[in-house]
Amino acid sequence: MGVKNEPVAEEPLIARDATYYRAPDALRSRVRASVRARAREQLRPMLWRWGGMAAAFAATIAVTWNVALFEAGNDEVNRLAREVESAHVRSLMVEGHLNDVASTDQHTVKPWFEGKLDFAPHVEDPAAAGFALIGGRLDYLDGRPVAAMTYRHRKHVVNLFEWPAPNTADTEPVAMTRKGYVLAHWRHGGLEYWAVSDIERDDLLQFARLVNPR
Amino acid sequence: MTRVSRFEQLVLPHLDAAYNLARWITRNDHDAEDVVQEAFLRAMKYFDGMKGGEARPWLLTIVRNTCYTWLEKNRPSDLVGLDDAGPLAAEGIGVGQSVSDDNPEVILLQSANRKLVNQALEELPVGFREVIVMREIEDLSYKEIASIAGIPTGTVMSRLSRGREMLKRSIETRMRRAS
Repeated sequence: MGVKNEPVAEEPLIARDATYYRAPDALRSRVRASVRARAREQLRPMLWRWGGMAAAFAATIAVTWNVALFEAGNDEVNRLAREVESAHVRSLMVEGHLNDVASTDQHTVKPWFEGKLDFAPHVEDPAAAGFALIGGRLDYLDGRPVAAMTYRHRKHVVNLFEWPAPNTADTEPVAMTRKGYVLAHWRHGGLEYWAVSDIERDDLLQFARLVNPR
Repeated sequence: MTRVSRFEQLVLPHLDAAYNLARWITRNDHDAEDVVQEAFLRAMKYFDGMKGGEARPWLLTIVRNTCYTWLEKNRPSDLVGLDDAGPLAAEGIGVGQSVSDDNPEVILLQSANRKLVNQALEELPVGFREVIVMREIEDLSYKEIASIAGIPTGTVMSRLSRGREMLKRSIETRMRRAS
């Protein structure tokens, strides 16, 4: 003390010396998770609160949904959905499980599959629309090797599985929920597509349409 | 964009501001975390009422309310001293006694270290502490502070100047005790 520096205004001193407490990372993930969990909770009662037309609209969706499931064969779809969901969880479990080839370039990812599969997967990179390609890997679904492409949507990973479905007609993407994950299933150009993530249902359906624009 | 992703984009970036305010009001890491968590759930519930205003003051209003509800329940003794005239009169601190820059008190304050400032600020009654935190650390405008704390702008300014005064005295006393 006693050192007479240039007098400094009192105001910036508190600003400089008092601690700015930054949120711990654990809190950050906790808040994010609880916000998402609450959003899922709120969605259900909201459906019941909608009256009249909205309810009718919801019913129409439900019918369309059921028809879509019925056409695909309910058991078959459920079995595949279970496999897809497991594959997604597995891919996120351990560092390094996600990608065999990590690249944001579709011209690197697509050729990587050559010689590893008996079909050429369709690789899109709708990065501009918020789904950036981050890599690919081989996976095993429905009793056969399949192509898995990985995308990042904000902080979330989307897994897209593809394998051949010869002599089948194209179908519109259908979304379903399993254990908090959202899955979308469709067929296009003789390939079977399954996308899975923990993002919003509508976002995943949008992703599906970005992979195969109609 | 869905409601949740809009919320994540507009409100979640202010998590640090929320935590800082809650931490300074509750004066405890764990309590601040609980309060912030609760405040974000409330914020989500009332998100539709934000109507395109500034997200940070809007969120901080909710954080502050959540803090006060929490204090009322768990540490009501923290809430005394909110009366604007009270604490100053009690401690005999002269209002309007301006302190110029070459005043020894200011020099004391200038050389005060972090710990001292933090301790002194923590011990300030919450009504003064929160306006100082919002103004000095969070850099909010008088108007924003007024709307967050639900008090007139004039009260914000008087609490600020009284709070600074009290802080100065407290730091000075601490330094004298330490030497």
